[in-house]
Amino acid sequence: MLLDKIFSNQEGSASRNFMISALWWSIFAMGAGLFAGMEFSVPDLVHNVPQLSMPHLRMWHVNGVAIGWLSMGYVGSMFYMVPNLAKTKLWSERLGNMTMWAWNLLMVGAFCTLLNGATEGREYAELGAVLDVFALLALFCISANVYMTIVHRRVKKLYVSLWYFLGALFWFPLVYLIGQRTFVQLPGLNDAIIGWFYGHNILGMWFTTVGVGMMYYLLPRTTGNPLYSHGLSMLGFWGIALFYAPTGTHHILQSPVPEWLKAIAVISSIFLLVPVFTVLTNFFMTMKGKWHLMITDMPTRFTVTSCLFYLVTCTQGPFQATRWINWYLHFSQWVVGHAHLALLGTFSFILSASIYYGLPRVTGREWYSQGLIRAHWWLKFLGFLLMMTSLTIAGLVQAAGWAFGIPVDQWSLTIRPYWFLRAISGVMIVLGQLFFAYNAYKTLYTPAKLEVKTKEAGVTA
Amino acid sequence: MYRAGALGVLITFFLIIWATVLMPMVLFNPKPSGHGNNYAVSNKEVADPARGRQVYVREGCFYCHTQFTRLQDRGYGPLVKAGDYVFETPHQLGTARTGPDLTNEGGKYPAQWQKAHLINPRAVKPGSIMPSFSFLSDRDMNDLVAYVQSLGNERKVTAYVEAPAEYMQGTIPKTVDTNSDAAANAGRGLYIQDCAACHGMEGLGNGPNAISLEKKPANFTRPFYKQYSDEFWYYRVTEGVPGTRMPRWGDGGNLNDPRGGILTPEQRWYLVAYLKTLSKDRTSEDTVDKLDQLNSVGIERLPVITKEQWEPHSGEE
Repeated sequence: MLLDKIFSNQEGSASRNFMISALWWSIFAMGAGLFAGMEFSVPDLVHNVPQLSMPHLRMWHVNGVAIGWLSMGYVGSMFYMVPNLAKTKLWSERLGNMTMWAWNLLMVGAFCTLLNGATEGREYAELGAVLDVFALLALFCISANVYMTIVHRRVKKLYVSLWYFLGALFWFPLVYLIGQRTFVQLPGLNDAIIGWFYGHNILGMWFTTVGVGMMYYLLPRTTGNPLYSHGLSMLGFWGIALFYAPTGTHHILQSPVPEWLKAIAVISSIFLLVPVFTVLTNFFMTMKGKWHLMITDMPTRFTVTSCLFYLVTCTQGPFQATRWINWYLHFSQWVVGHAHLALLGTFSFILSASIYYGLPRVTGREWYSQGLIRAHWWLKFLGFLLMMTSLTIAGLVQAAGWAFGIPVDQWSLTIRPYWFLRAISGVMIVLGQLFFAYNAYKTLYTPAKLEVKTKEAGVTA
Repeated sequence: MYRAGALGVLITFFLIIWATVLMPMVLFNPKPSGHGNNYAVSNKEVADPARGRQVYVREGCFYCHTQFTRLQDRGYGPLVKAGDYVFETPHQLGTARTGPDLTNEGGKYPAQWQKAHLINPRAVKPGSIMPSFSFLSDRDMNDLVAYVQSLGNERKVTAYVEAPAEYMQGTIPKTVDTNSDAAANAGRGLYIQDCAACHGMEGLGNGPNAISLEKKPANFTRPFYKQYSDEFWYYRVTEGVPGTRMPRWGDGGNLNDPRGGILTPEQRWYLVAYLKTLSKDRTSEDTVDKLDQLNSVGIERLPVITKEQWEPHSGEE
């Protein structure tokens, strides 16, 4: 009984639970980001509380958003998209729910350790040894679950989304395994090379691949148009598979790592334009004649916004990965803006679209309020534009400062207004996310009026 | 068909792993340069830099401070080499500079200043947005300061360059006493007239012309320039630097002709007298020895500001 409640076997429960957990952790992770952002404007906001010092908040913010909000949401989305595309049930709901609890436990562990500074000191791979093993086991369980669902599929052809999901679930556990370096001690620069292989491929082999797969799923579903071209979609898939993974070293272009490795990174970064424009051409041609749905249908609006931000991210990325642009812009807040463009602008929006589209279909309940969804979109959209603008301007000021040898003390005063604007944008984004979570809570945990009536009728009859 | 697809995914991925993960492990094994940070410099009873590094990692300093100097970073000390990082695990190269680069931070400020700065950054640097680390225990704080003071402590110049033979064999009469203040002052005037447009008023290599030059002008404050002998300076000024916009200030054909070149030999010697005062020395050792005074600094007491801190350069004048 209790077992059934905790490791439910009900269809769609794993997907639903993963999505709710993602929303739960997103509040804490984005909230930490906002708090850290405020400390840039008011550095003495808190005193003598190590858990709330900016670097600790930042560690938790990055891990909470990447591993909590985005990853859990991605798994939840895959758990309803994959069975749907394979025209079968999820292989094991029980296993799915078990991984859901494991992943939540992992997040609790991450919350407790990172805020206290228990870190491995490697950016994006901060989690300690125990949590790493935990995350890997959970990832393998998720992979097994999705792969077995595909094995039991009732259709012959695999839609392109499934290619992306299967690829990501093969690549990401391996990337995670290689990237953590928990049990190895590499010399400093080799550590950095592997570190950025991981730091970039958690994006390239997980967030991008699953995110693009979700775009491929949602666009035809929400617009009712068939996918423009399956040939192009395959070209995009193989392009991403080939050119995304070797780009990591462009994060340390000016450090003394081998030149040939930098050359590989820069060249494949530029080549990335090919799959990106292939994928986007496909998306925008699929939208043909249905652009007006952006006004009325909220999942469509979130999806299209995400696609447009994807266009901006992936044009900006190769641009700033070239040597001379990197020479100027590296180390500045421009890069922070770019990171938020990818993870917040593109992948948070597509995940929101997926949850807005999927949660009613998984649980059979309509969204509590369409107005809250609209408010969420506007707050996040405007908030994000404000954040991107302020960080980009701050980055350009900083970059000029480094290029002309202006002391840090001087340019750091110049960019104070932009820290302030960034904090305001953070308030908007977190508020949007709170609306999202509140809406989901109301949708799932207040009994629909109609249901109550039938139940009462059943009792009296 | 799907078998081929799966095989393709497998092959592309392992090809990439092979090229960007395994190959660097095999081909890129820099030998220790001997110029990496030396954490064994101070008495462990007082403060332990190696343990301070763990505090640095734990407090996430690397999110805002980087540890590698680039060519274009002015005033941040010698450039790094691959061999400097062999013992630096986990690497602390960093990703963004919300604060300054710390590659050669050791010895830039007195240890007491560093401690006061960690406790209350805005007391010693108004306008700074660095978080206060007052929650660190005294031991953590001292170790962290010791670590910061050890950064770049071994990054010294060991190789020396020599001017071509015709400049070295005493064939060029030194008409000016290049160690005198008077000559340096005269050279300063010439420098402001002829050099500052590219090399900047303080020799940082950031003059207004620098923006348009592909090869950036030299930053004379780097310790690297300590190694230049008078003859080498004279040679550089006279011959210019091929491949850059640095012109020849003398007439290469006739080294001693008083009418040759844009600057006369005497003027070039004045310039040498000034240029050799610009490069900064690195004095981390003496501040590391003063670590045992750390505990005498409280939150309210501002540290003594030394003269060296405010001098643009510490050369002889």
